[in-house]
Amino acid sequence: MSTLHLVRKSAFTTNDFAQCLSVLDQQDSIVLMDDGCYNLKHPLMDSLIKRANSTISINVISNHAQARAIETLAVVKQIKMNDVVELTFTHQKVITWQ
Amino acid sequence: MISSDTQIEDNLSQQNGLAIINSKAPFSSDYGKDALDVALIFGSFEQKVSLFFQGDGVYQLIADQDATLVSIKDYLKTFSAFEFYDIEDIYVCQQSLVNRQLDEAFHINDVQVLASVEFGKALNSHQHVLRF
Amino acid sequence: MKTLAVVVTTPPYSPLTVTALSYVETALVAGINVIGVFFYQDGAMHANENISIASDEYQAIAHWQRLQQQYQLPLHICITAAEKRGIACDSIDNEQINQAFTVSGLGELVELTTKATRLVQF
Repeated sequence: MSTLHLVRKSAFTTNDFAQCLSVLDQQDSIVLMDDGCYNLKHPLMDSLIKRANSTISINVISNHAQARAIETLAVVKQIKMNDVVELTFTHQKVITWQ
Repeated sequence: MISSDTQIEDNLSQQNGLAIINSKAPFSSDYGKDALDVALIFGSFEQKVSLFFQGDGVYQLIADQDATLVSIKDYLKTFSAFEFYDIEDIYVCQQSLVNRQLDEAFHINDVQVLASVEFGKALNSHQHVLRF
Repeated sequence: MKTLAVVVTTPPYSPLTVTALSYVETALVAGINVIGVFFYQDGAMHANENISIASDEYQAIAHWQRLQQQYQLPLHICITAAEKRGIACDSIDNEQINQAFTVSGLGELVELTTKATRLVQF
């Protein structure tokens, strides 16, 4: 059963992102939003990307990253809010890490 | 990703109520109390609710705490009433305990300590998740 | 039928609430049946009629009101969370409470959660 993880906190401040990663499953997707966008530059992101070679989908809300002048990575999909709504229903549940 | 809505509905019927993740230490915010209030109301409405303790949330379960020493209402004592609300599934993240040099000494019984993968699996078996 | 329930725990002056509003409005525009928004913790402050946010800043409360009117979106505030934040909830013609919001108990959260196919927290 797949989970959509909404990550809203910077891993430079809190452990929320690390806790999210510790329960992440193969079919899950991550959406970085709000200060969660800063995680694109966090060391934890490297380990996540290595795992993402499998099936985990990593997304960032494009205007949230752009507003913060965060460069996105090629392996991270840029999405909009309507995609988040769609992902809500293509996964079986949503966990918000904030 | 999912082949049909029917499949989603089928999956849902097998799922297991609400999971509440507790992620905050008990005495510096009202998150723990707010999560407890949600858990108890689900219990009193006879809805399935499971509790997960992760990160600093594990401090909510540690034995021999005394909130009154810092003039806080000892809401942790209410945890012992979980069985009367049929709240039976209480899970603790083992890694969070290890990271904090904590023993598995809790102020309530029947707490299940799980490694990260099992903790994630238990979480995954629920229909909805709230995190405090 | 896709049904969505949303929990908001951030206050009306928080930029995080902008994201919650954006998500809910996007869902409504997409035709999702949003069966209710439950304002818990600091989210309960949304119903405080005395909150005044500078006119050049984001007007979260006005946006929730607009969604409530446009889509008949039920907005529930948790009575316990509201009262401990200085919003008296005791009478019906209460001038302290924004009329777009319904004063509810945590039982309403149980109701929304059991009815919704998805529960999303902000």
